[in-house]
Amino acid sequence: MRLLASLAALFVLASCGGGGGETAGGAADLPGPVPAGVEFVAPPGSALAAPDFSAELIDGTPVRASDLWRDRPVVLVFTASYCDRCAEIHRRAAEAVGAHDGAIALLGVVGEDDVDGGRDYADELELGHPVAVASERVWLDYAAREPGLVVLVARGGKVLRGWPGGATVAELRPRLEELIAR
Amino acid sequence: MRLGACCLLALLLAGCSSGGKDTTAARLRVVVPDNNIREEGVECAGARPFRQVHRGTKFAVEDEDGGVVAEGELPAGRAENADPSIDWGVERIPTVCVMELEVDLPERPRYRFVLPDTVPLEFDAALLERDEPLQLVLSG
Repeated sequence: MRLLASLAALFVLASCGGGGGETAGGAADLPGPVPAGVEFVAPPGSALAAPDFSAELIDGTPVRASDLWRDRPVVLVFTASYCDRCAEIHRRAAEAVGAHDGAIALLGVVGEDDVDGGRDYADELELGHPVAVASERVWLDYAAREPGLVVLVARGGKVLRGWPGGATVAELRPRLEELIAR
Repeated sequence: MRLGACCLLALLLAGCSSGGKDTTAARLRVVVPDNNIREEGVECAGARPFRQVHRGTKFAVEDEDGGVVAEGELPAGRAENADPSIDWGVERIPTVCVMELEVDLPERPRYRFVLPDTVPLEFDAALLERDEPLQLVLSG
């Protein structure tokens, strides 16, 4: 009986450990507060408003794009588990964003038909950034005709630049540095 | 000596079964005419309105009666110039996404290539006897 109780306790503990925000690309990968002292440059007045959207992260956590770009710039990567080169595009974006110590957010976006694949994709990449499952509407709003699109959104929600087919670190890095006031 | 005879018999039998040409190794080029802007040669998946056509998408080849004679998954595509008669003069050009595959098909007079949410494509067996792969251009 004691053995059974111990096994049950172990099972419960294991279940808690597995579900507690440990999913790659899930809630645990949402960015924390913007580092103290970081100021951002205002986007050009002519920049277009980024279409806001609500989605769920790969672990089911609700996320709103405007909550992310309220405090900091956001790099969106429209990606897919079946797109081999997208993983590299996503990695490069993470490398460029990673140089700014949390001042800039990165959100991967997969399609609704790619939830299971997207979970494996996030797990394999393990970038430490959230991955959302977004509707076709979102893909349409950003003219994401094919996975591999990178979009840079300024703090406050203005689209600054899109890179269909991805951007290199060398292309992204200066654009991100321009956003931070010295 | 007996072993030698057995080997010879096995060889003859193997020769007979392959010589009967029960199946054809069909080389197919599945062309996704999405006219998306890409660099020529990059890996691609179908762009809107062909987003459902990508590496891993399940396909089937049916005979005239609708029986499935082959099935599999699409490989990743490669971007090809959508209009080779034009020198676009830039790296990123209008392209189609082409997926090449080889499928063993039993002998039938006609086949139908089926992908999800696309119009099935019918083709004659005679077209598979050409030297070049058979081009199947999808429509929405």
